[in-house]
Amino acid sequence: MTLSPQDAASALRDIETAQARSATLHGYARSSPHLLLWGVLWVIAYGLNDLYPTYGRAIWAAIVPIGLIGGFVMLHQAGLGAGWRYGGVAATLFGFFYALFAIMGPASGRQVGAVIPLALATAYVLAGIWRGPRFVITGLVIAALTLAGFFFLEVHFFLWMAGVGGVSLILAGLWLKQV
Amino acid sequence: MGRGDEIIHQQTRLQIMATLNALPNGQAIEFTRLKAIVQATDGNLGAHIGTLENAGYIGVKKDFVGKRPRTRISLTRSGRNAFVRHVDFLRGILDEHAAPDHPAENA
Repeated sequence: MTLSPQDAASALRDIETAQARSATLHGYARSSPHLLLWGVLWVIAYGLNDLYPTYGRAIWAAIVPIGLIGGFVMLHQAGLGAGWRYGGVAATLFGFFYALFAIMGPASGRQVGAVIPLALATAYVLAGIWRGPRFVITGLVIAALTLAGFFFLEVHFFLWMAGVGGVSLILAGLWLKQV
Repeated sequence: MGRGDEIIHQQTRLQIMATLNALPNGQAIEFTRLKAIVQATDGNLGAHIGTLENAGYIGVKKDFVGKRPRTRISLTRSGRNAFVRHVDFLRGILDEHAAPDHPAENA
Protein backbone atom coordinates (compact mmCIF):
# COMPACT_ATOMS: atom_id res chain seq x y z
CA MET A 1 0.00 0.00 0.00
CA THR A 2 1.53 3.30 -1.09
CA LEU A 3 0.47 6.61 0.39
CA SER A 4 1.76 10.15 0.06
CA PRO A 5 2.64 12.06 3.26
CA GLN A 6 -0.39 14.29 2.57
CA ASP A 7 -2.71 11.26 2.44
CA ALA A 8 -1.17 9.88 5.63
CA ALA A 9 -1.56 13.24 7.41
CA SER A 10 -5.17 13.52 6.23
CA ALA A 11 -5.95 9.99 7.49
CA LEU A 12 -4.37 10.76 10.86
CA ARG A 13 -6.49 13.93 11.12
CA ASP A 14 -9.64 11.89 10.39
CA ILE A 15 -8.63 9.42 13.09
CA GLU A 16 -8.05 12.17 15.64
CA THR A 17 -11.41 13.83 14.88
CA ALA A 18 -13.35 10.55 15.11
CA GLN A 19 -11.59 9.54 18.34
CA ALA A 20 -12.25 12.91 20.00
CA ARG A 21 -15.93 12.85 19.01
CA SER A 22 -16.27 9.24 20.12
CA ALA A 23 -14.68 9.92 23.52
CA THR A 24 -16.87 13.00 24.11
CA LEU A 25 -20.11 11.23 23.19
CA HIS A 26 -19.11 8.19 25.23
CA GLY A 27 -18.52 10.46 28.24
CA TYR A 28 -21.93 12.06 27.75
CA ALA A 29 -23.66 8.69 27.48
CA ARG A 30 -21.87 7.40 30.58
CA SER A 31 -22.88 10.45 32.64
CA SER A 32 -26.48 10.58 31.47
CA PRO A 33 -28.00 7.97 33.85
CA HIS A 34 -26.23 9.58 36.82
CA LEU A 35 -27.78 12.97 36.06
CA LEU A 36 -31.19 11.38 35.61
CA LEU A 37 -30.87 9.62 38.96
CA TRP A 38 -29.70 12.71 40.84
CA GLY A 39 -32.34 14.84 39.12
CA VAL A 40 -35.07 12.58 40.45
CA LEU A 41 -33.46 12.52 43.91
CA TRP A 42 -33.20 16.33 43.94
CA VAL A 43 -36.90 16.62 43.13
CA ILE A 44 -37.75 14.26 46.00
CA ALA A 45 -35.28 15.60 48.58
CA TYR A 46 -35.75 19.32 47.94
CA GLY A 47 -39.52 18.79 47.66
CA LEU A 48 -39.63 17.04 51.05
CA ASN A 49 -37.25 19.67 52.45
CA ASP A 50 -39.74 22.38 51.44
CA LEU A 51 -42.62 20.52 53.08
CA TYR A 52 -40.68 19.58 56.23
CA PRO A 53 -37.90 22.15 56.66
CA THR A 54 -36.98 21.00 60.17
CA TYR A 55 -36.21 17.49 58.88
CA GLY A 56 -33.78 18.66 56.20
CA ARG A 57 -30.76 16.80 57.59
CA ALA A 58 -32.67 13.53 57.98
CA ILE A 59 -34.13 13.80 54.48
CA TRP A 60 -30.74 14.32 52.86
CA ALA A 61 -29.10 11.69 55.08
CA ALA A 62 -31.56 9.19 53.62
CA ILE A 63 -31.48 10.40 50.01
CA VAL A 64 -27.72 10.85 49.47
CA PRO A 65 -26.82 7.19 50.21
CA ILE A 66 -29.53 6.10 47.76
CA GLY A 67 -27.88 8.23 45.07
CA LEU A 68 -24.41 6.93 45.89
CA ILE A 69 -25.48 3.29 45.89
CA GLY A 70 -27.48 3.83 42.69
CA GLY A 71 -24.46 5.42 41.01
CA PHE A 72 -22.21 2.58 42.11
CA VAL A 73 -24.66 -0.01 40.77
CA MET A 74 -24.88 1.80 37.42
CA LEU A 75 -21.10 1.84 37.07
CA HIS A 76 -20.96 -1.84 37.94
CA GLN A 77 -23.70 -2.70 35.41
CA ALA A 78 -21.87 -0.73 32.72
CA GLY A 79 -18.85 -2.94 33.37
CA LEU A 80 -16.62 0.07 33.96
CA GLY A 81 -15.06 -1.29 37.13
CA ALA A 82 -14.42 2.21 38.50
CA GLY A 83 -16.13 1.66 41.85
CA TRP A 84 -13.16 2.72 43.94
CA ARG A 85 -12.90 5.99 41.99
CA TYR A 86 -16.59 6.63 42.55
CA GLY A 87 -16.13 5.97 46.26
CA GLY A 88 -13.10 8.25 46.25
CA VAL A 89 -15.03 11.09 44.62
CA ALA A 90 -17.90 10.71 47.11
CA ALA A 91 -15.53 10.67 50.09
CA THR A 92 -13.64 13.71 48.77
CA LEU A 93 -16.84 15.69 48.27
CA PHE A 94 -18.14 14.68 51.69
CA GLY A 95 -14.84 15.72 53.31
CA PHE A 96 -14.77 19.02 51.40
CA PHE A 97 -18.30 20.04 52.35
CA TYR A 98 -17.82 18.93 55.95
CA ALA A 99 -14.65 21.07 56.21
CA LEU A 100 -16.27 23.96 54.36
CA PHE A 101 -19.25 24.18 56.68
CA ALA A 102 -17.05 23.65 59.75
CA ILE A 103 -14.96 26.66 58.73
CA MET A 104 -17.74 28.91 57.40
CA GLY A 105 -20.60 27.77 59.65
CA PRO A 106 -23.05 28.04 61.19
CA ALA A 107 -24.92 27.86 57.90
CA SER A 108 -28.69 27.84 57.42
CA GLY A 109 -30.40 25.01 55.56
CA ARG A 110 -31.00 27.45 52.73
CA GLN A 111 -27.29 28.25 52.49
CA VAL A 112 -26.30 24.58 52.54
CA GLY A 113 -29.02 23.86 49.96
CA ALA A 114 -27.49 26.47 47.64
CA VAL A 115 -23.75 25.96 48.21
CA ILE A 116 -23.70 22.24 47.45
CA PRO A 117 -25.44 22.48 44.04
CA LEU A 118 -23.33 25.52 43.23
CA ALA A 119 -20.12 23.57 43.95
CA LEU A 120 -21.38 20.64 41.87
CA ALA A 121 -22.30 23.01 39.04
CA THR A 122 -18.76 24.39 39.17
CA ALA A 123 -17.40 20.84 38.97
CA TYR A 124 -19.53 20.26 35.84
CA VAL A 125 -18.19 23.41 34.21
CA LEU A 126 -14.59 22.45 35.02
CA ALA A 127 -15.10 18.89 33.78
CA GLY A 128 -16.78 20.24 30.65
CA ILE A 129 -13.80 22.37 29.74
CA TRP A 130 -11.97 19.09 29.18
CA ARG A 131 -14.75 16.68 28.35
CA GLY A 132 -17.33 18.50 26.28
CA PRO A 133 -19.48 21.64 26.09
CA ARG A 134 -22.69 19.96 27.21
CA PHE A 135 -21.22 19.60 30.71
CA VAL A 136 -20.31 23.31 30.72
CA ILE A 137 -23.84 24.33 29.72
CA THR A 138 -25.38 21.98 32.32
CA GLY A 139 -23.16 23.46 35.04
CA LEU A 140 -23.92 27.05 34.05
CA VAL A 141 -27.68 26.42 33.98
CA ILE A 142 -27.67 24.73 37.40
CA ALA A 143 -25.51 27.52 38.86
CA ALA A 144 -27.70 30.28 37.40
CA LEU A 145 -30.92 28.65 38.63
CA THR A 146 -29.46 28.06 42.10
CA LEU A 147 -28.27 31.67 42.43
CA ALA A 148 -31.56 33.02 41.07
CA GLY A 149 -33.54 30.98 43.58
CA PHE A 150 -31.26 31.87 46.48
CA PHE A 151 -31.25 35.62 45.89
CA PHE A 152 -34.77 36.19 44.59
CA LEU A 153 -36.88 33.71 46.52
CA GLU A 154 -37.19 34.41 50.22
CA VAL A 155 -39.57 31.50 50.74
CA HIS A 156 -39.88 28.19 48.91
CA PHE A 157 -36.26 28.15 47.76
CA PHE A 158 -36.28 24.39 48.27
CA LEU A 159 -39.40 24.04 46.15
CA TRP A 160 -37.62 26.03 43.43
CA MET A 161 -34.61 23.71 43.63
CA ALA A 162 -36.89 20.67 43.46
CA GLY A 163 -38.93 21.90 40.51
CA VAL A 164 -36.39 23.84 38.51
CA GLY A 165 -33.02 22.45 39.66
CA GLY A 166 -34.09 18.80 39.74
CA VAL A 167 -35.98 18.97 36.47
CA SER A 168 -33.01 20.73 34.83
CA LEU A 169 -30.75 17.87 35.89
CA ILE A 170 -33.22 15.37 34.43
CA LEU A 171 -33.39 17.33 31.16
CA ALA A 172 -29.58 17.53 31.09
CA GLY A 173 -29.41 13.76 31.57
CA LEU A 174 -31.76 13.24 28.62
CA TRP A 175 -29.76 15.69 26.53
CA LEU A 176 -26.48 13.90 27.27
CA LYS A 177 -28.09 10.69 26.09
CA GLN A 178 -28.73 12.18 22.66
CA VAL A 179 -26.15 11.71 19.91
CA MET B 1 7.87 0.30 8.84
CA GLY B 2 4.94 -2.10 8.46
CA ARG B 3 2.51 -2.23 5.56
CA GLY B 4 -0.74 -0.34 5.56
CA ASP B 5 -4.05 -2.14 5.99
CA GLU B 6 -6.19 -1.82 2.85
CA ILE B 7 -9.34 -2.84 4.73
CA ILE B 8 -8.95 -0.24 7.46
CA HIS B 9 -7.69 2.62 5.30
CA GLN B 10 -10.96 3.33 3.47
CA GLN B 11 -12.22 6.63 4.99
CA THR B 12 -15.48 5.45 6.60
CA ARG B 13 -13.89 2.26 7.91
CA LEU B 14 -11.00 4.29 9.29
CA GLN B 15 -13.50 6.48 11.16
CA ILE B 16 -15.35 3.41 12.45
CA MET B 17 -12.12 1.86 13.72
CA ALA B 18 -10.97 5.15 15.29
CA THR B 19 -14.33 5.60 17.01
CA LEU B 20 -14.25 2.08 18.44
CA ASN B 21 -10.61 2.38 19.44
CA ALA B 22 -11.46 5.45 21.58
CA LEU B 23 -13.83 3.35 23.73
CA PRO B 24 -12.56 1.59 26.84
CA ASN B 25 -11.61 -2.07 26.31
CA GLY B 26 -14.63 -4.32 25.89
CA GLN B 27 -17.10 -1.43 25.48
CA ALA B 28 -19.51 -1.45 22.55
CA ILE B 29 -21.24 1.38 20.73
CA GLU B 30 -24.78 1.42 19.38
CA PHE B 31 -25.29 1.53 15.63
CA THR B 32 -27.23 4.83 15.80
CA ARG B 33 -24.48 6.53 17.79
CA LEU B 34 -21.79 5.22 15.44
CA LYS B 35 -23.82 6.42 12.47
CA ALA B 36 -23.94 9.94 13.91
CA ILE B 37 -20.20 9.99 14.56
CA VAL B 38 -19.10 8.81 11.13
CA GLN B 39 -22.02 10.59 9.41
CA ALA B 40 -22.90 7.72 7.11
CA THR B 41 -26.23 6.38 5.90
CA ASP B 42 -27.65 3.16 7.36
CA GLY B 43 -26.84 1.17 4.22
CA ASN B 44 -23.35 2.55 3.79
CA LEU B 45 -22.45 2.03 7.43
CA GLY B 46 -23.94 -1.47 7.40
CA ALA B 47 -21.80 -2.44 4.39
CA HIS B 48 -18.58 -1.17 5.98
CA ILE B 49 -19.42 -2.88 9.27
CA GLY B 50 -19.89 -6.11 7.31
CA THR B 51 -16.44 -5.74 5.71
CA LEU B 52 -14.75 -5.11 9.07
CA GLU B 53 -16.67 -7.97 10.70
CA ASN B 54 -15.63 -10.38 7.93
CA ALA B 55 -12.02 -9.35 8.51
CA GLY B 56 -12.43 -10.20 12.20
CA TYR B 57 -11.74 -6.62 13.27
CA ILE B 58 -15.07 -5.92 14.94
CA GLY B 59 -17.80 -7.88 16.66
CA VAL B 60 -21.51 -7.19 16.10
CA LYS B 61 -24.18 -8.12 18.63
CA LYS B 62 -27.89 -7.79 17.97
CA ASP B 63 -30.50 -7.86 20.72
CA PHE B 64 -33.69 -6.20 21.86
CA VAL B 65 -34.25 -3.52 24.48
CA GLY B 66 -37.91 -4.04 25.20
CA LYS B 67 -39.36 -4.29 21.70
CA ARG B 68 -36.70 -2.08 20.12
CA PRO B 69 -33.97 -3.87 18.15
CA ARG B 70 -30.44 -2.83 19.06
CA THR B 71 -27.16 -3.42 17.24
CA ARG B 72 -23.95 -2.97 19.19
CA ILE B 73 -20.47 -2.93 17.70
CA SER B 74 -17.16 -3.42 19.43
CA LEU B 75 -13.52 -3.76 18.48
CA THR B 76 -11.94 -7.22 18.66
CA ARG B 77 -8.42 -7.74 19.98
CA SER B 78 -7.20 -8.44 16.46
CA GLY B 79 -8.99 -5.28 15.24
CA ARG B 80 -7.33 -3.15 17.90
CA ASN B 81 -3.91 -4.56 16.98
CA ALA B 82 -4.53 -4.02 13.26
CA PHE B 83 -5.66 -0.44 13.90
CA VAL B 84 -2.58 0.33 16.00
CA ARG B 85 -0.36 -1.13 13.26
CA HIS B 86 -2.09 0.98 10.62
CA VAL B 87 -1.70 4.17 12.68
CA ASP B 88 1.99 3.31 13.13
CA PHE B 89 2.25 2.86 9.36
CA LEU B 90 0.70 6.30 8.76
CA ARG B 91 2.96 7.95 11.33
CA GLY B 92 5.92 6.16 9.79
CA ILE B 93 5.21 7.80 6.43
CA LEU B 94 5.17 11.24 8.05
CA ASP B 95 8.32 10.52 10.08
CA GLU B 96 10.14 9.29 7.01
CA HIS B 97 9.11 12.38 5.09
CA ALA B 98 10.18 14.64 7.96
CA ALA B 99 13.64 12.98 8.26
CA PRO B 100 16.39 15.33 6.97
CA ASP B 101 17.81 12.98 4.35
CA HIS B 102 14.49 11.43 3.16
CA PRO B 103 15.90 7.86 3.07
CA ALA B 104 12.93 6.57 1.05
CA GLU B 105 13.68 9.04 -1.72
CA ASN B 106 17.40 8.15 -1.68
CA ALA B 107 16.85 4.40 -1.75
